[in-house]
Amino acid sequence: MSKAIRTILAALLAAIIAFPFLYGFSTSFFSVVDFTDSQARFLPSAISLRNYALALSHRHFPRYVLNSTITSVMLSLLRLAVSIPAAFALTHLRFRGQRLIAGIIMATLFIPSDVLLYENYSTIASMGLLDSYMGIILPSIFSGASVLMLYGAFLAGDRDVYDAARIDGAGDLRYMWQILTPLYSPFDAAILIQSFISSFNSYLWPLIVTNRDRMRTVQIGLTMLGFAEEGEKGAQFAAAMIVTIPFLALLAAGRNMIMKALVDTKED
Amino acid sequence: MRKSILLLLMLLSALALTAGGAKESVENTITIWHSNSGRIGEAFETLIERFNDTVGKDSGIKAEAIYQGAANDVLTKVKATAAANVSELPDIAQMDATAALDMKGADYIVTTDELGADTSSILPSALKALDSDRGLLAMPFNCSSLLLYYNKTLFDEKGIEPPRTLDEFAAIAPMLGEKDGAGNVTRYAFAGVPTTYELGAFIGAQKGLSYMVDAKNGHFGTPERVLFGEEGTFRNFLEHWKAFYDTVFVSNLTSGVRDEFAAGRTASMLASSSNLSTVIATVAGRFEVGTAYVPMVDEEATGGVNIGGGALFAFSEKEGTRLLIEFLTSPESQLYWAESTGYMAINTKLYGTDGYKAFLADNPQFAVAMEQTLSSNPEVVGIWLPSAYQIYYSFQSEIRAVTESGKDIDEAVGSMVSVVQGAIDEYRVQNGL
Amino acid sequence: MIGKKAEPYLLLLPAVALALMFSILPFMRTVFLSFMKVTQGGDVIGFGGLSSYKSLFADKAFIRSIGHTLLFVLLFIPLNTALTLLAAVLTRRKGRRTGIAEFIFFSPMAISLSAYGMIFSEMFRGRISIANRILGTDILWLESPISARAVLVFLCVFLDFGLDYILLLSAFRSIDRSLMEAAEIDGCGSVRTLLWIELPAIRNMLLVTIFLALKDALLISAPVMILTEGGPYRSTETVMYYYYLEAFRSSNLQKGRTISTLMALVSMSLVALTARRKRDE
Repeated sequence: MSKAIRTILAALLAAIIAFPFLYGFSTSFFSVVDFTDSQARFLPSAISLRNYALALSHRHFPRYVLNSTITSVMLSLLRLAVSIPAAFALTHLRFRGQRLIAGIIMATLFIPSDVLLYENYSTIASMGLLDSYMGIILPSIFSGASVLMLYGAFLAGDRDVYDAARIDGAGDLRYMWQILTPLYSPFDAAILIQSFISSFNSYLWPLIVTNRDRMRTVQIGLTMLGFAEEGEKGAQFAAAMIVTIPFLALLAAGRNMIMKALVDTKED
Repeated sequence: MRKSILLLLMLLSALALTAGGAKESVENTITIWHSNSGRIGEAFETLIERFNDTVGKDSGIKAEAIYQGAANDVLTKVKATAAANVSELPDIAQMDATAALDMKGADYIVTTDELGADTSSILPSALKALDSDRGLLAMPFNCSSLLLYYNKTLFDEKGIEPPRTLDEFAAIAPMLGEKDGAGNVTRYAFAGVPTTYELGAFIGAQKGLSYMVDAKNGHFGTPERVLFGEEGTFRNFLEHWKAFYDTVFVSNLTSGVRDEFAAGRTASMLASSSNLSTVIATVAGRFEVGTAYVPMVDEEATGGVNIGGGALFAFSEKEGTRLLIEFLTSPESQLYWAESTGYMAINTKLYGTDGYKAFLADNPQFAVAMEQTLSSNPEVVGIWLPSAYQIYYSFQSEIRAVTESGKDIDEAVGSMVSVVQGAIDEYRVQNGL
Repeated sequence: MIGKKAEPYLLLLPAVALALMFSILPFMRTVFLSFMKVTQGGDVIGFGGLSSYKSLFADKAFIRSIGHTLLFVLLFIPLNTALTLLAAVLTRRKGRRTGIAEFIFFSPMAISLSAYGMIFSEMFRGRISIANRILGTDILWLESPISARAVLVFLCVFLDFGLDYILLLSAFRSIDRSLMEAAEIDGCGSVRTLLWIELPAIRNMLLVTIFLALKDALLISAPVMILTEGGPYRSTETVMYYYYLEAFRSSNLQKGRTISTLMALVSMSLVALTARRKRDE
């Protein structure tokens, strides 16, 4: 494939991928009438921060952001901490019942979480974890998909490294912590970022297990503003942008780390 | 270094997790779960504050309002809570009509009759909407009804009055609609495809009162039989609707109807009276918004519309529960509620007062909704059915098949009857009836 | 020091315990109840056998929802795989200008389903929509079954794009350099290196992404809810959306249990079958 074609293709694909976000960003400045203009608009008729002011008008918003951040950070770290040993054991060790356990983990992928809502609520309630951070995150710490991603990565990896480390006398825990985790940091980062963002954006479960205002999370706060019912589309978009843009920044920072890790590990 | 920070973070989070929220339980606190967001949410909070400053203060009771998401989320949460531990339920939950079927079968609700709340001055049609074989299930609170919204500027320009019947609508549709040079319709007379909600009025109003299923639309006992087929009411509706559609100025739009209306691309639509302020805000002065009675299917369809919206379901027999429910439906509260949200005021003591008259005079579109309800047959009630959403979408599909692909009307009625009958039969078997 | 025998079990303990507690065991209860007679209020009133399944299969709307789901899988998996793979292939070699492209391809990861759902609803809304303006078309995108399905597939590609891309790109970049250098010495052009060396080397990760896409496609419901609500005229009603309507909107939990049991068992056996065939090869 010639370089020019490659560049053009990449540019075209990038334009398609970037467009919805850019359009969403633009609409977050739309006034109510801009949405129903006689021709669809690319850009707002005037730059006004009204929508953003509306979206930030909720009195408890900072508290909700804090709660979402705490639960999401905890969830993503714990998910990684649970997934790495599991994927390591399944790929590097041999033991009885290995296939059964792998089967159990894969099976969870196809159990839709909606189905478990009532049951998990009962479990969390009986553990006395309603209205707590633990109650919000506990059911989703384990993720079959995360284990599967690491499983795929570890399988493709070099077993020589493991053998060499063992000859050097490194125990499995040290190997996992000091060699495996940094070696696969792009995958770790992908899992962390994805878990963080999906947790930050979850709505129904945190709503169900919390009652107190001080335990509520961002998405609940956003619906509480009632923009959808009031036809405030611009403010809805602004609210979505307010939670998206920090993630994009996070991703930009994370990307540099991921790529650096990739280069480092390869050139060692 | 980076790794030890990571380890520290993991440990910290494990620690933070063990810090749970202790449950505060106060005997004299009345908890109410609600679904009011935005402006409406603020109005609701104000009502709760007013209660705490007046009735609550006098009787040593404190009400606490907790937002629990959209109306359907409140129901999900009530059911999850009831399944885990009934004692965790709030004292009151505000839910909409879709909750009625569930709550009618739930042993953990305290009906308004059992609670002994005063309903003597509540609008009869609002009470009928929640009446059942268990008595009054819940206290009506945020009420609304179906309305015809129309582009008043356009209607005035053409010298047309809003249509009284579907036939009249069909007759004026060509004057309201518009085509471009190529023959494409650029403005429709009406947009939307009726669902269960609209059919509640279109079918319910026929012959003064018609039920869609027996047991008075499922309010008294569990329905056994579909009535809209054998009584010919759905057929009658489809015939008139098809004639209306055949004017080519009706758009079978199932989404974004309000935007089309606001942009002036359809001259009218059907929507709940509770949408009034949103519609006016979205139209943003492009034209004057008018409201009118829902057109009748034919001259004999005089039943009018049913009342929809939400109600206060009680889960405790506390004195405070009754006091709060009575407070929220008192004339003063209902006036404030109507003024700040656009829901109907349902306390009849209010109707003669100067404050209320002034409010109606300032909001003529709103007054139309009130008049329509007062002139409707209170026995026309919404339908309580299992598999309600499936049925909702099935109605749209059949209406579309009849209008767009020329499906035989009797065949459409037949398949609709079998969908609803199927849902009823399954429900009966599943519940051991 | 961990005992050698116990070690793998201890390492797996947290994952398996959580999986059992919050997924497998509650799900088994669901499976059990699907063979019982359960009232709307949740009381078990007797043994139902296959009656819930029979009434489910008698429901034409459910049968249609299976068709819609399969159609979605068939459209989504190839398109999603092709696009993410294309993006990864185009940017797999680090260059001076790949940074921006990389970031753009990652970015969908930061954008939530609800945000994308809102944006897509707006982009494809009615006749006067930005999609029509760009494409010069006059289509009511969400009002015809064919175009509504296309928009849904397109939306779902965006939802999975970022993560799949990052996984594939990382896989490409962790290929042993010496392999490729050897191929170049042998005079392989870049296309042949890609086909014969690089793609086989990332095979495992490609399978993981396809597998995750398959899972997302079979269980799709939230995007349907946000974008089309199963419409127009139920043409995008997938099995899990149908489940959502019944279990959450219509409170028919028993039907919900039956559907989810069926769905999970079918997908699991599908996967078990593929796994077996792979092992036999």
